[in-house]
Amino acid sequence: MKDSLNRPVSESLKEYARGIAGGLLFSFPLLYTMEVWWAGFIASPAQLILLVITTYLLLLGYNRYAGMREDASWRSVFVDSVEEMGIGLALSFGVLLMLGRISLSGMSVEELMGKVIVEAMAVSIGVSVGTAQLGADSGGSEEEGSAGEVGGQDEGSRTGSLGTAVLALCGAILVGGNVAPTEEILMIAVEADPVHVLLMAVVSLLLSTVVMTFSDFKGTNPKPDKVTAYSIIHDTCISYIVALAASAFVLWFFGRFENMSFWNAFAQCITLGVLSSLGASAGRLLIK
Amino acid sequence: MENLKEKEEVKDKKNLLEWAVFWLGLALLLSIFTYLGYQVYNHKPSPPEILVEYWPEPSEAQPNRYRVVVRNTGGETAESVLVELVLEQGGEEVEKAELQLNFVPQGSKREGWVNFSQKPAAGATVSARVASYQKP
Repeated sequence: MKDSLNRPVSESLKEYARGIAGGLLFSFPLLYTMEVWWAGFIASPAQLILLVITTYLLLLGYNRYAGMREDASWRSVFVDSVEEMGIGLALSFGVLLMLGRISLSGMSVEELMGKVIVEAMAVSIGVSVGTAQLGADSGGSEEEGSAGEVGGQDEGSRTGSLGTAVLALCGAILVGGNVAPTEEILMIAVEADPVHVLLMAVVSLLLSTVVMTFSDFKGTNPKPDKVTAYSIIHDTCISYIVALAASAFVLWFFGRFENMSFWNAFAQCITLGVLSSLGASAGRLLIK
Repeated sequence: MENLKEKEEVKDKKNLLEWAVFWLGLALLLSIFTYLGYQVYNHKPSPPEILVEYWPEPSEAQPNRYRVVVRNTGGETAESVLVELVLEQGGEEVEKAELQLNFVPQGSKREGWVNFSQKPAAGATVSARVASYQKP
């Protein structure tokens, strides 16, 4: 069906519908969180630019290593990522307008743009995951049948360290991003004793190990037969480091490190790390 | 091999709708970058600058009501803005009414009302001042 000369419009409409559903599914919690609206007008223009660029890179990575048409060329990946951002911006604008969080009069352009941009970044990652995931049943099996030869070459790129890290990053942002902007992370981190923080770090590592060693999510690729101690430690380390880096970036963006002692900033990273490490390990298996 | 390559190219082909979405998305992104770039270029870090306007706006239930419009013309958002309206009569402070606003972002305005318990008599003056605000 896909081999016809041009993709039929109905097909792309379906894909957009999946993207929109996915975008909203994954980003509604953020669209309904007031700290995220505040971030829209507190963030400086330079921070917003950095956020847009980072999100675009994430989209590129996700579309390259996990997108629905994983056999697509880089050109196609670039084009798709721009499309997803456009949809994300439009959706974010529409939902915020519906919720009365932005208004076209009496509100400065800075405030309006800031809110829309910050929310749109979460939405566009959701759109990307939605397009890839919600259509996986029909598209995936079909493609495997028709393009088996591409599959072989694909395995290699998907299990590579870079691919793993990119998917872990997307999972960490997707799961961790939902709670990162809330005050609760700050509250937990500030009130935690060192022993609590240590416990959180240990639990994160345990969760990652358990997820990667024993879970077999439906629809994921069968694991390689040999699960050695080395591979477990290697995978756990990658996903925890990626999770902590993602946590640090998101927390920094929401201004949680300003005027903080090193210990408090560190404790916040570990606190959020519990969630994002689960996202990095489980999300990585689920969203690929 | 050639056949495979051809197939890939076909798969990459996009229809008009997809190109339209792409170009619209690109235009949106580019305009955002232009706007933000302009902002970065012109951005001078400056503290919040809060202006207060107020005028009587009596209602049936609240005859001594004042409408308060707060604007921030500075370069940064102000959090927890506390505005005080003071009623003075014969040079003496008679009553004080407060308005608390969560956030006043830069360039934006927020509105509210305050009520005095007594009607400002003839010759009375009402003055406003911004008591405090914090950096978010």
